[in-house]
Formats: sequence, structure tokens, C-alpha cells
Amino acid sequence: MKKVATFPSHNKPKSMENESHGIMWVFAGLNLIFLCCAGGLFLFLIFESYPIFKLHGFDFWLGQDWWVGEAYGALPMLYGSTLVTALACLLVLPLALAVAIFISEFLTPTSRRCVKAILELLAGVPGIVYGLLGVSFLSLWIKDVFGLLDGNTLATASCLLAIMILPTVLTLSEDAMRSVPAEYRDNALGLGLSKWQTATAVVLPQALPGIMGAVLLGIGRAMGETIAVMLVVGSLDRIPDPWFNIFSSAQTIPSKLGREAAEAIGEGTHWSALMALGLTLFIMVLLINFIGNRFLKRRSIS
Amino acid sequence: MNPATFEKGMVFFLTILTLLVSSLLLIILATVFAKGLPALHSGFLIEASENFGREGGIIYQLMGTLILMTGAVLISLPVALGSVIYQTQYLKSETGKEICRQFAQMLNATPTILFGLVGYLFFGVYLETGVSWVTGSLILAVMILPTLQVSIREAIEALPDQYKDAGMALGLSPWSQIKTIIIPQCYYGIITGVFLGLARAAGETAAIMFAATTFSGIHLPESFSDPVPTLQTHMLVLTQEAANPEALAQAWSAGLVLLSLVFFLTVMAWILRSRLKMEAEL
Amino acid sequence: MFRMLLFFLVAIGVIPFPVSADHSPKIEIVGSTTVLPIASRAAERFEKLQKIEKFKSSHRLRILVNAGGSGVGIHSVAKGRSDIGMASREISPSERKRFEGSHLKVHTVAVDAVACVISSEIYEAGIRDLTRQEIRDIYLGKIRNWKEVGGPDRKIVVVDKERHRGTRHVFMNYIFGNPTAKTPGTILVTGSNNEEQTKIAQSDSAIGMLSYAWINDEVRAIGIRDNKSIVNLTRETIRKGNYPIVRNLSFITAGEPNGEVKAFLEYLKSPEGQQLVEESGYIPFT
Repeated sequence: MKKVATFPSHNKPKSMENESHGIMWVFAGLNLIFLCCAGGLFLFLIFESYPIFKLHGFDFWLGQDWWVGEAYGALPMLYGSTLVTALACLLVLPLALAVAIFISEFLTPTSRRCVKAILELLAGVPGIVYGLLGVSFLSLWIKDVFGLLDGNTLATASCLLAIMILPTVLTLSEDAMRSVPAEYRDNALGLGLSKWQTATAVVLPQALPGIMGAVLLGIGRAMGETIAVMLVVGSLDRIPDPWFNIFSSAQTIPSKLGREAAEAIGEGTHWSALMALGLTLFIMVLLINFIGNRFLKRRSIS
Repeated sequence: MNPATFEKGMVFFLTILTLLVSSLLLIILATVFAKGLPALHSGFLIEASENFGREGGIIYQLMGTLILMTGAVLISLPVALGSVIYQTQYLKSETGKEICRQFAQMLNATPTILFGLVGYLFFGVYLETGVSWVTGSLILAVMILPTLQVSIREAIEALPDQYKDAGMALGLSPWSQIKTIIIPQCYYGIITGVFLGLARAAGETAAIMFAATTFSGIHLPESFSDPVPTLQTHMLVLTQEAANPEALAQAWSAGLVLLSLVFFLTVMAWILRSRLKMEAEL
Repeated sequence: MFRMLLFFLVAIGVIPFPVSADHSPKIEIVGSTTVLPIASRAAERFEKLQKIEKFKSSHRLRILVNAGGSGVGIHSVAKGRSDIGMASREISPSERKRFEGSHLKVHTVAVDAVACVISSEIYEAGIRDLTRQEIRDIYLGKIRNWKEVGGPDRKIVVVDKERHRGTRHVFMNYIFGNPTAKTPGTILVTGSNNEEQTKIAQSDSAIGMLSYAWINDEVRAIGIRDNKSIVNLTRETIRKGNYPIVRNLSFITAGEPNGEVKAFLEYLKSPEGQQLVEESGYIPFT
């Protein structure tokens, strides 16, 4: 450091200039690798799924039958993914709202840190451990409680997903509430509002977009979860009958990919159809995530 | 009802809810411990598995998981470090920065099974690394890239401006600044990222189940083209056999080990992050 | 601290390297979960045998065994991603056509039966056999309650398998005359034999299909009734060929095997290999 410091900036030796330049290209190259990873994934999915769209067009998304070699219809998987995620979201939303209010507005800083630490640990529990919990407890409980034929249902998968994304959603929601400026609270309290009124009438409306964003990011994660869902969803490629019957087996896109991909890997219409499913999932998750991030950003600007 | 009582009631209700949610972790932990400990005999960590995983230990599965996640971090770290340095130190255009941010978010949101499938086809088939630990590490490396980037970026952005100003005043070239100021000052941030990345890689199953793992026949990889057994896929196989009490007990014990590993790495990351905070406040 | 960590990372990273120069021979086997127990056992013994024979050489043969299903096995051996595929069914005509260039060769090592299995509660309640028509109607969703076939008043949990699984091909081929028959009555789809066995054992009113070696006290095999005669599933009825749903368990290679692969397949067909077939719960192929 000392050695370098002796050179005044205007007459750096030529070699150093070059070195500096070369190094910049190294960093730029590494950045390019990163961009290629992300962009390449998307292009790859489009490229691989092109044949099936050429063959079936948009009917691919509307078809209800998936028979390898005969028909490839993605509707049951699309429907399953959507329903499972929507249900998980319904379960998580009220809980996340209530607990986030409490953590951010009523807890002392020490206990808040403690709860947040617990949540962060919880967010890191591997999917396969949730899968094991689902197989050996949740699916049996759901079967007994609702008197079902079998415990591998849409509802089981939703509950499991709800538990899985709860920590993420809570952490982000709580962040959103904390980021409401302290003056708002002070003013409200100064006007004679109670703590509860401040929390629900002042802080909550301000934090709402952030909380929406948090939930959307959680949903994005839930939609892509493979292992835990695959073990408890029942893997039946059929739209439940009637359509709102959440206590029947169904199939989600990641679970379908996890179960069938090994057989088709690399080529053929079957593979292309699976990749098209993957592309669909990718686009859905990206959209949800994009909107979620927009919400989070709007919060930080206001 | 009088509003004060109502409020007290609501706050009480929320307290209960929060306690319930927090106890969720304790319930999960307690369950894994209660189910995992009984089968966790003294040799569990140092014995090979036998009889299709129903007996014996998990040493090679554990080693496989460690190899994959370490490989992933070794591959991912230079790319993450380089790209973040480029984005924060060299890249001037706001549009460029925004594009990089969007791409990072995209990568972070991508369902992991897609990494597995696309990664296998790209690395395993086109680049001919086959079903091997190398393929697995490469796939996981791409997967944890955003995790590492976030930690490194946080650390770099938390650097006080004076440091940079001082560096500039000394006439340091950008590279010298990076070498003598940024990397040394950020290394707790970098290592926090490393631990978080390791934790994320250790918990991942879907991304590696097609591309890097084997059920039996390999203990430790002896070449680049060998797959490895991993804790995650070992658990997956045993979980599907849940009616067999022996297999289930082994699955729980493996789960206990995996969970402990992930928790250990996460807690390490926290400790380092708190050091980072302390330094930033100095 | 940082140095320690770096050292730790590098140390783990380089574990595979010192030996990487020395390429010891390797056989990769992928496929049917039904054949997997045979392959795994044989691989273990065969590796030891090889070690004893050539203990001076540092080249130790290693045999990798992976599950996935018959379809996966056939597909990956044909594509050259593995040396041997395991299949619990015949190679289908469409696969034959698709993989014509790979000259798939089948090496049968064992005989197995696919049983129609039910949960033990139903078995205890008196269901001991079903006709082919009844099973067909159950899978088509025409029969939905056990009482329609003389059992207790309980809905039937119809367990199906993933469509590329060998067990399903063989079973559906017998029941419907079509290996890829559509089964609208299905309530639940499972993958490996283990998974299906678990679901049927956990349920108290399930029906499904399983390989002979997976039958136990919780998952009971029922007989197939035809007019008045009933064929129960026993070793004898399989061996004599009376039981209608039997199949060969085979290993598949692309072209004629040679070298270690050939030696391994010969070991499987030897008396010692056939002993392992018995140990795994199947009938030796003679």
C-alpha cells in the first residue's frame, strides 16, 4: 500500500494503467458469466420447449390429458400449481399480518431480534426435511382429521407449503412495517391514539404494499418447491372433481418434472413438453416475483 | 365492549399467535430430534450405510453433501465477487446496474428443479461432465450465486465513503483500491455470504437429484466423472419407504444431521455478520 | 479464521483429486426399482470378488447402482448414459423402434410376479381374490366401494403407478391388454415399489400393484379368480407359470457386452448370482 501511495495519480506508470485495465475486463468477464447464467437459463428453456409449441401451439396449456407419446396437456399441472399456491397464500396471509404487527409494534427490541433469528433459521430448513415431516405426520393427520381416503392431497401440500414460506413472508412483512418512519408512530401516539390504533390505523396501511410484496415473494418460492410437494401431493395428473375439491390428489408442475424428467432427459417430444412446463413455471414465478419486488420498492420510495 | 378491553384482548391474541409461530421451529426441531436421536448410534457419522440405507451410518452421504456444497462455493465465489465488484466499482450506467439487479432477482427466484434439469443438460450433456459431482457443484454454484452476491454487495455498500475517498486521495488505481481496501474490509461480508451459500447448497435436493447423485456403488468420488451419494437424496429414498420403521428411523437421523449442518452454517454466518456490523460501526 | 476456513474449503475440495489420475473401471447401472435389490447385492459381492482376484492392482472395479424405473433404464442405456439398464418389463415396440441404432440386448436373470395387492384390513375382512373384470372396473372407476366386490362398506383407494414404471406396464397389460391403459378410477399415483408399498400399508382400503418381493403382512397379495378357479400367488404358481402376471427381470446392454460388464452379467447368471436373486425374493431364471 505504501509503495503504491508514492505515485501521484497523474503520472502512473504505463504498466499499472494496463494492469488496471486488464483487471477490469476480468471483472467484466465474471459479471458476464453471471448474466449468461441467468439469461442462458431462460433462452435454454425457450429453445428446448419450442418443438412442443410448434406441434400443439397454445393447446398445450389447455389440454387436460398427459399421455406420453399421445397427448401433452398442461392444464392439470397448471391448475394444481395455482391452487396449491393460492391455498398456501390464503393460509399464510392472515397469520403473517397478525404476527408481523405484533413483532414490529409490540415487542421489545431484544425479543424482536430473537423472534427474527428464529424465523431466519426456520427459513433455512431444507425442503426434504419438510417432506419427511409431511409424509410421516401431516398427511396422516389430514387423513384422520378429515376422514379422507388418503392423506396425499392438495390440502396437505398447501399446509406444508404454508409452513415453509411463513418465515420468509413474516420476515419481509415485519421489515415493511419497521420501515414506516418513526414520526408517523410518534405523531399518532401524540394525538392520543392507543398503541393498537396506531398499529392498525397508521402503520398497517402504510406498510400494506410492502406486506403484499412479501407475500408475493413467498408465493414465488412456494410455486417452485419440488421435493416436499412431490412427496405429499399425490401426483395425479387430473383436475380435481369438482374443481374446488382440495381433498383430492393433484399434480403440480415441479412435482411432475421431478417425477418424469429422468425418463425423458435430453430429447424427444416428451422432454420438450416437460421443458415447456418448466418454462411456464419459470414465467409464472418471474411475474409474481417482479410484481412482488415492485411492491417492495414502492414502499421504500414512499 | 370497551375499546381498551378489546385492544388488550387483541394484543393477547397476537401474543399467542406469535408464540405459536415461534414454537413452530421448536416443534420442528423437537420432532427431528425426538425421531432422529434414537437411531443415532455412536457410529452413525463414521459408518457406511448398509442394506439399502436401512442400517449403518451416513459417512459417505455426508461427505458427498460436503463435497458438492464446497465445490459449489469454490466455483461461485470468484464469479460473485467479480461481478459485484464490477457492478459497484466499474459499472457507471444506471441501466446496466438495473439490468444486473433484475437478473440477480431472476436467478434468485428460479425454481431449483429448473437449475437441475437445465444444468444437467447444459453441463452434463453439452459440456460432457456427465452425472457427476462436478455437474452438481456447477449447478449449485449457479443456484447460490445470488445469495453470495447479496452478502458481498451489502458489505461493499456498507463501507464508509471515507475509505474510498482516502484511497482516491492516495492516488490508488481502482484495482489497488479493490485489493487493499475493498476486499480486506469486506471479508466478513464475503465469508457471511460463503456460509449462507453453503447452507443453501446443503439443503437443496431437487437441483442435484438428476445430475450428481448415486444410490449405491460409490463411496468417495475418485475422478471428475463420479457421482456422489448425498444426504438429501439418501433421505428422499428412505422417506419414500416410510412404512418401513427401520428406513424411517434412518431418514430421521439423516435429517437430524442435515438440519444440524444447515443450522450450524447459518449461525456461523450470523456471528460473522455481527462482527461485520461491529466493524462498520467503529 | 479466514485462513482456517480457506484451508477447510480447499481441503474438502481436493479430496477427489489425488486419485483422479487413476481411472479405475466403473460400471453404471440405472433403472427399475424392482431389479435394484438384485443389482445392488450383486454389485457389492462382485466388487469384493474382483478385489480378491486382483488385489495387487490398484484398479478396483466400482459398480454404481441407481433407481429411476424401467423406462429410465432403457432410455439411459440406449443413450449411452449408463452401461447397463435394469428393466422389469419387455422393451416396448415403440422403444425398439426409437432406439433401433443402439442394438439393445436383454439379459434375463430372474422371474417375478406382479401381484394385485390390497391393504391388510381389507384382506382380513375377507377379500382374498378378485376377477380380472373386477380389477379392471376398479381401475376404471366403475367399482368404487369394497362392498360391491363382497368386502366391507368402504371406498376403494385405487393406487396407480407412474406411467413409465415397468410394474405398471406388466400389470395393465394383463388387466386391460394395453400396457399404457388409462385409469380414470385412480385416486393416487406413486413411483417406486417402496413408495407404493408405503401408501398401501398406511391406508386401510387400498388396492395396488406390487412386485412379489414387496409383499408382507401389511400389504397382502390376492388371488386372481377366473370362473371358479382361483390362482393364488405363491412361489409354486409363479414357477409353474400358473399365476397370470409374471415377468422377467432383465439387464439391458447396448450391443454385446464385453469386459467387466460381460463378467458382471455372467456372474449374475451363475449359481452364486442366482442365489442372490433368491435372497432378493425373486425366482431364479433357468
